[in-house]
Amino acid sequence: MKQSTTKNVDVKGALTNKGAFHGFFNPSPLPLLPLSLFFLIFFLWPIGALTGNAFKSNEGAFTFSNITMLFQDPYRLAFKNSITLGLISGLVGAIPGLAIAMAIEKQGSQTLKKFIASISGVLANTGGVPLAFMFLAAFGPAGLVISALKSVGLDLYGLGFTLFSFTGLVIVYAYFQIPIMVIVVTPALSSLRKEWKDSAANLGASKFQYWQKVGLPILMPSFFACYLLLFASAFSAFATARALTVGNIALVPLQIGSLVDGNVTINQANLGYALAFGMIVISLLAMIPYIWIQNRTAKWQTR
Amino acid sequence: MADTMRKNLASNLVLIVAGMFLFFPLYAAAEFSLRNGADKTHGFAAYRWIFEQSGFAENIGITFRVTLLAVALNLLILVPTVTWLHLSGQRYKRIVEILTILPLIIPVVALATGAQIAMPEFMQNSVYELSFFYVVVAMPYTYRALDVGLSAHPLATLTNAARSLGASWLKTFTTVVAPTIRPSILAALFLMVALSLGEFTLAQLLHWSTFPVWVTNVSQQNIVGATALAIGSLFFAWILLFSFTFIGKKNSTIVMEEG
Repeated sequence: MKQSTTKNVDVKGALTNKGAFHGFFNPSPLPLLPLSLFFLIFFLWPIGALTGNAFKSNEGAFTFSNITMLFQDPYRLAFKNSITLGLISGLVGAIPGLAIAMAIEKQGSQTLKKFIASISGVLANTGGVPLAFMFLAAFGPAGLVISALKSVGLDLYGLGFTLFSFTGLVIVYAYFQIPIMVIVVTPALSSLRKEWKDSAANLGASKFQYWQKVGLPILMPSFFACYLLLFASAFSAFATARALTVGNIALVPLQIGSLVDGNVTINQANLGYALAFGMIVISLLAMIPYIWIQNRTAKWQTR
Repeated sequence: MADTMRKNLASNLVLIVAGMFLFFPLYAAAEFSLRNGADKTHGFAAYRWIFEQSGFAENIGITFRVTLLAVALNLLILVPTVTWLHLSGQRYKRIVEILTILPLIIPVVALATGAQIAMPEFMQNSVYELSFFYVVVAMPYTYRALDVGLSAHPLATLTNAARSLGASWLKTFTTVVAPTIRPSILAALFLMVALSLGEFTLAQLLHWSTFPVWVTNVSQQNIVGATALAIGSLFFAWILLFSFTFIGKKNSTIVMEEG
């Protein structure tokens, strides 16, 4: 089993990257046109339009007033909450996700890998009301886990825990954050070559030393990049937050939802666009280190 | 030997704990959804309640049609592009990779509000506009699934061989490329389906009634029924999942025999 995987990788390296027929002609980028157009119309155009409207006043004139509103409460508070939620939920997803991905990698079973990949695909897209109700049934005031703990004398709600809180959101988000982490970190783990571990062992390194000097330093950039993705995911989650909070926690996506959702004045709609623009700016700021890291690692990861 | 066993013990432990975190909310919700009112008996009353709600079949129908169009768009636009990127467009791979990660970074809420402003009337008047946005939102996942799957095969060699033997491009694609990458296509389509079936943000903000939006609305009336709905829609996704992995597995064994 192990042997055949190594062989496959070699075959790929030798043939797909330096195939005899490749590199001899410069392909025209014309086949990229359908995808590019699709992306332009259904992604870049809406984002561009949104950005334009964020700087428009009620009368359609250029203004910064929507943007300056973002630095005042309640919007300032919402940004603070959403960013904190992203940072914490990112960690709560990234660490267990990495552990799971490493466990799968160690097991080495292709079937398990495939199975987990599919499950993660579903769970990463679980959200909203179904997810909220599942957690209500387990961790709600009358939930199964809470009642079970109560029967052994641990009254979590008595101690101040509630699912409808910041902590509750972090727990619920973990249900889709961990699978996302498993999906995105697995390729990075696969790039840790077995040879490095063997060479380290041959040179007399202990397992701890291998991870300290080789494994972790190599993994760290990818881990950080994955963490940024999880940050973005929790920062912008809408459906689950909407289902779980009852207006008690100010979050930017929810504020946008209520501002642009029809039954408000045009003035507020423009404020909603400004909020969305603010979210994009923060997400992009998180993405710049992500791209930089990806470029750095791509340089040596490709053979 | 003992070392291997210890290693597996640690990783098994991690997987078991993860499985428990995955399983407990599911189990709790399933148990809750089978309760009959306040007494301790269990039954399917809440599940019958689902079917009695108006709009059930209609909204499932809408979600199905939107999902079908999204799947078709993926097959038409994404699959040929990724195949081409692997065959001869490798120099453009980095830029496509960065582009396709963008929808994961840019909040869906922002895309939805932007779509409200930008999309012309005829798009905004059709529920199928959702399909187009779903393709974009799913792209970070679908693109990667295709990319990883295609990297596992020496596609360039296979096509070069087919072309040298005189096969036309069309014949090469239908008889060599398509069967080889079918498991990857299925994996990508599966992710597309998983997203389309559960997507809420775009549908809600663009004011369309799809199955997840309908679920949210009827949930406010009956908490046990809502839990039953949550479980029902998840199990539905699982069933789809297993049928997909089954098809995928059948194909990958064939590929492995060839290798």
